[in-house]
Amino acid sequence: MLEPKTVVWLHGDSLRATDPALEEHPDAPALFVFDQPFLERVQVAFPRLAFMYQGVRDIAAARTALTEIRVGDALTEMRDFARAHGVKRIAATQTVSQRFDGVMDALEGEFEIVVYEQERLTSYNRRVKKFFGFWKDVEAEVTQGETLFSGSRSSGDRRG
Amino acid sequence: MSLIPNDLSDAEIPQQLGQLLSGLFSGPARLPFAPGGRKAALERLKAFNPARYGSRNHLEGGVSGLSPYLRHGMVSMAEVARVIRTCKSGKDRNELLRQLSWREFFYLVLEQEGEAKVLENLELPKYNARWTDTIPDDIRTAQTGLPCVDAWVSRLEAEGYLHNHERLWFGAYWVHWRKLHWKAGYRFFREHLLDGDVGNNALSWQWVASTFSQKPYFMNKDNIERYSAGKWCRGCAADCPFDAEYETLEKRLFGPGFPRDTGAR
Repeated sequence: MLEPKTVVWLHGDSLRATDPALEEHPDAPALFVFDQPFLERVQVAFPRLAFMYQGVRDIAAARTALTEIRVGDALTEMRDFARAHGVKRIAATQTVSQRFDGVMDALEGEFEIVVYEQERLTSYNRRVKKFFGFWKDVEAEVTQGETLFSGSRSSGDRRG
Repeated sequence: MSLIPNDLSDAEIPQQLGQLLSGLFSGPARLPFAPGGRKAALERLKAFNPARYGSRNHLEGGVSGLSPYLRHGMVSMAEVARVIRTCKSGKDRNELLRQLSWREFFYLVLEQEGEAKVLENLELPKYNARWTDTIPDDIRTAQTGLPCVDAWVSRLEAEGYLHNHERLWFGAYWVHWRKLHWKAGYRFFREHLLDGDVGNNALSWQWVASTFSQKPYFMNKDNIERYSAGKWCRGCAADCPFDAEYETLEKRLFGPGFPRDTGAR
């Protein structure tokens, strides 16, 4: 059995087995953390947490590689998980969140961080202002399924 | 480290997950109204009949119910769009794709502006607004005395979901009638909505409040009655704050100086 070289951080914005980071690393151990500092700061009703749990559970059932769930500080748990598996690389799918950026920034010195672009609806890559103008630009792409914009970011951007 | 088993059955989730996450959530530990996960997402997508989408503005209309799954990435926007493009046709198909594009739009705004900025007023409100940043008890406990408003709160808490029209009505009631800050409404929705995320949630509130739109959104009783098939208005004995013409409500809610010139785009 090959020693894993990468671990994947699963977060609440991309909970499917076809998550871009998971698809790139099908054999990598993956970790989802119920982030205690976040949940202590932000009030969330239980059904929402159970809904996410069911999402991770489906991922675990669909993979042969380890899919672990923990509760704790996302940064500490992710670091411990990566060290325990003896890897130097952590992969995740992009999300816009200060917490995500903070955790990734803190891990960056010790690990290589690889972030995969989310599967987007459009290839639109300019500034957005109002929906009406945006829709005019993307309507053909969305309704016909053709890529109209070039130069969108590639998958697997390495940080640092 | 606290490890959580990855194979709890649905029946085990409230008790076992509830115990492991003790102190980290509000309300009782119970299963979500709609089950989470990829399997449930694909079943929902398969069952969705866009032929009824033309009626989506009505509470009993043909909405997809996919938003919680899209929000948590259990199914992607691109996957949903591919299914719609492949399997469906006609005007409703394109309207459905247009609605889906709002999610992409909000994501792009969030990415462009950043989380911190989206959680503050993006523009000045378009009227002289004085909002209080609190969640009042009568709303939290669904005891405002207005059957429609209390029903929205009850549904939000029970199902973690509101129809888009209910969200707009509730948002307008919250911000314009009760003079509560959209940020408090954002927090209230974030606590309960299965599909609540920073982009969609905060920007929709800002759109209603007029800090991300040219004018505040508001409705009147006729609008609520029409799109709810009168389910709350029939037999309602409350002193309805929504029962007036739009011009009257506009003056009442936003004052004689409305709309004010903010120099906004």
